[in-house]
Amino acid sequence: MIDPVILERLREMVRGRTGQLLDSSRAHGIETRLGAVARREGFASLDALMSALPAQGVDSLGWRVIEALLPGDTEFFRHREQFALLKDQLLPALAKARGRVRLWSAGCATGQEAYSLAVTAAEAHAPGIEILATDISEQAVQKARSGLYTQFEVQRGLSARRVLEWFEKDGEMWRAEPQLRGAVRFERANLLDPPPAGPFDMILCRNVLGDMEPERRLRVLESLSGVLASDGVLITAPSEPILAPGAPFRLVAGRRGVFVKAAPAERQVA
Amino acid sequence: MARCLIVDDSRIIRKVARRIVENLGYEVDEAADGAEALAYCAALMPTAVLLDWNMPVMDGLTFLRRLRADPDGAKVKVIFCSVENQPERIREALGAGADDYVMKPFDGDIITSKFAEVGLA
Repeated sequence: MIDPVILERLREMVRGRTGQLLDSSRAHGIETRLGAVARREGFASLDALMSALPAQGVDSLGWRVIEALLPGDTEFFRHREQFALLKDQLLPALAKARGRVRLWSAGCATGQEAYSLAVTAAEAHAPGIEILATDISEQAVQKARSGLYTQFEVQRGLSARRVLEWFEKDGEMWRAEPQLRGAVRFERANLLDPPPAGPFDMILCRNVLGDMEPERRLRVLESLSGVLASDGVLITAPSEPILAPGAPFRLVAGRRGVFVKAAPAERQVA
Repeated sequence: MARCLIVDDSRIIRKVARRIVENLGYEVDEAADGAEALAYCAALMPTAVLLDWNMPVMDGLTFLRRLRADPDGAKVKVIFCSVENQPERIREALGAGADDYVMKPFDGDIITSKFAEVGLA
């Protein structure tokens, strides 16, 4: 069992730098994950690792600790009904209305969502789609860029046909084809920092906002709204609670997790 | 209740797969090779088949071709589940009429994901 004092310090570090709340269910397995960081970084124990962390601020070691604590679980075509909506309606409509469509996968983890978007765009025959994918974890972004996944990972959410069409076998791993890798630009970014230059026609920010502390969440929503085109769409996980009074978005009726910008009068009543 | 037939010559694999598929709400039956599975299907056509490749008596590919040749067997969802993980082998299975393909080893998430992919879950 992890020392409650250490746990509290870790919680504060994660909350301060990312806005994410590490409740007890998400704290599960912390020791194993931190133990791996300690070994990788050459520390004899978890205590030794903790002593090396600065009392204030966050250095590169601190970031590696934060990265290990954030949930990285993801899969291809997660919430598949949303990808069906993208393929059948949203992407073809956007591609038809604009010559160039910009999508941002905000909080892309190890890239599965961004690559699923690229596959969906290709299958929808929607041309001119540009995808930017960002994550707070440098390690996750590097893996995403490599396009290299284990056999377990490619089988979570991808049909065998899609694996064969979009990936090539690389030893015991599967690597995204160059065409797929070339369709996505990966960058490291913290959602609490100023956002990448917009406007974006669609932002996917799924399974990120729901566990954020409410004040920071509102700040991030403002920042997403600032770079989303006036008629753009924000997509969260289907049952993610993001609306609160003052939130700059409103839910599209009948579409779980699909939001458009709210008119000023609508903001107060959310 | 929808019925799934698990075809594998390994009793352990059948046991592990059974637990996962039962959790998806299926009534599960087992067969240890393709011939046994064909006899089962002739008596009671299942909704889904989780199918190993290399088995004694009759392999999975032969079973699948025979199943697809039967008009009643054309609609059954068949998910191959094999240690064969070379792209050409997977293509061969899909070409013979498999709806999807699991490369062993698998876990509950993968089986659940594949069932959803072929419209079963």
